[in-house]
Amino acid sequence: MTIHVIYGTETGNAEMVADDLVEALEGDATVTARDLADFDPAEVAERDFVILVSSTYGEGELPNSAQPFFARLEAQAPDLSGLTFATFGLGDSFYETFNHGSRTLADKLRELGAIELGERGVHDASSGELPGEVAVEWLKGLLGAHGARIMAGEATAEAAS
Amino acid sequence: MTAPSIAIVGAGPSGCYLAQALRKQWAEARIDIFDRLPVPFGLVRYGVAPDHPGTKAVTRQFERLFERDGIGFHGNLTLGRDFTLDELREAYDVVALATGLAADRRLGIPGDDLPGVYGAGALTRRLNDHPDEQGMRPDLGRRAVIIGQGNVGIDVLRLLSKPEAAFEGSELSPEALAACRATPLARLDIVGRSSAAEAKCDAAMLRELGRLAGLSFHFHATLPAPESVEDQAVSLRLAAFHELAERHTESHTESNGCQIHFHFGWTPEAVLGEARVEAVRFHGGESGRETLELAADSLITAIGFAQHDPDLPGAPDAPRPDDQGRLAPGLYCTGWLRRGPRGTIPENRQDARAVAATIAADLVADRAERPLGRPGAAALPAAAIARATDFAGWKRIQAVEAAEAPAGRLCRRIPDLARLLEIAQATPVGGP
Repeated sequence: MTIHVIYGTETGNAEMVADDLVEALEGDATVTARDLADFDPAEVAERDFVILVSSTYGEGELPNSAQPFFARLEAQAPDLSGLTFATFGLGDSFYETFNHGSRTLADKLRELGAIELGERGVHDASSGELPGEVAVEWLKGLLGAHGARIMAGEATAEAAS
Repeated sequence: MTAPSIAIVGAGPSGCYLAQALRKQWAEARIDIFDRLPVPFGLVRYGVAPDHPGTKAVTRQFERLFERDGIGFHGNLTLGRDFTLDELREAYDVVALATGLAADRRLGIPGDDLPGVYGAGALTRRLNDHPDEQGMRPDLGRRAVIIGQGNVGIDVLRLLSKPEAAFEGSELSPEALAACRATPLARLDIVGRSSAAEAKCDAAMLRELGRLAGLSFHFHATLPAPESVEDQAVSLRLAAFHELAERHTESHTESNGCQIHFHFGWTPEAVLGEARVEAVRFHGGESGRETLELAADSLITAIGFAQHDPDLPGAPDAPRPDDQGRLAPGLYCTGWLRRGPRGTIPENRQDARAVAATIAADLVADRAERPLGRPGAAALPAAAIARATDFAGWKRIQAVEAAEAPAGRLCRRIPDLARLLEIAQATPVGGP
């Protein structure tokens, strides 16, 4: 199966994390990383499983590259009940709006029927840790708990429960 | 299409983002970034406030360019000293200038060159241990005025008034702090041309001030109610000002720290003083015809940046063929140098990506007139190549700075250029 890592970015840090996740998954699955700026909600509806990576910007807003996607999601309101996803967020705990961006996107996908798998991963820019390393650790945990089903393309509502 | 050889001048965020975008365009292109210092990352290292380490997280991306993506770093080379722009253009198919705007814009009013007037950019470099500012010993006295209420002005305000203990976990060196804060400031006035609603700073910067102990805040204007405006950013900013104002009424009695006074709607008119700054005069106010005179031992200007070297091509106000980043065939500019000192790190990423697209389009269009194949750094003057430092040199500097971190700090920046060069040029153990 193909795993799609889709990212919303402002400074490019979320893109770097997406690249690191792709690298970690390569060999076990076909993986691609795509900017949400070039991604249509209709495409999401066709997928079984996506990994969503997003930063937060300004006053807890979505990063620039995720904004048009979010607007189209709201306008088109596609049925995402066939979709399972996992979320990794980047933020800076220095701001009280820490990681609002990834939460906004995940909430919207769930509202449209998608199922969120596992714990949301989080990187804190003020922690000094490398975001790619934190993300790959998170991915290992996710695959440990849900990997067989994700890889088998059977990540359905049951898998999430 | 054959990959071009590309030189980028300036290893700050704009230059690094441009290299990143061009690498995505051409996996095989020879891409070299030149910097006058043996350390990369420009304003991310020397402009971002030393107590905002999260903002510096982008350096992880940039390091990857040099460590994994085959981008060359040539430090300690200055355009105009070690090679001319013509020599660089002879050596590379594409040259892009990303040298930024390093000089503080001057007020342009009588007295703006009196002793005791400091630029916010120079002061920020001093606080960030930039080698160029080691001679700077700011004498701010007991009362300082800051002109400019953008994020740079608020950074300076915070760095000068924040309790020392609150710098725990930052990159601010005790030496830089001592040099800039020889005596504690009793009062800081921050003055802007705009109204409170139109002030240029972000609400998050103001809320950060509100979390600091020991400061008291005073507002010399009626603040509009946040609910009265529709624009969310404006409303949040006004709410943040209100929070600071309310905090003052709660806590001013026990506060013995710095008093911070906000003034809105004032245009600077003259810096007054005989041998040094004694006061600053403004006009404006709510009626537009009032005068304000603030006593001051020092003045810090935070009203934007300008080109530091007038001989360098591509200044934002110089005539250009277009606004797509083109300066001449094969010569481009990006970042602040292209569009002026506005915009944050992400905006410069957008800018660099747009300029990369321009470069790619031109190489297709101009293929016949400008054949590719210039050899790159090998064609530069031998003396320049000999004195260049590389990315491994920077990694050695970084390791020393981390190892020498004082208690409660992430690192200790090496402020001395000679020592930076000595470490960068040291022959690695086991090397040739």
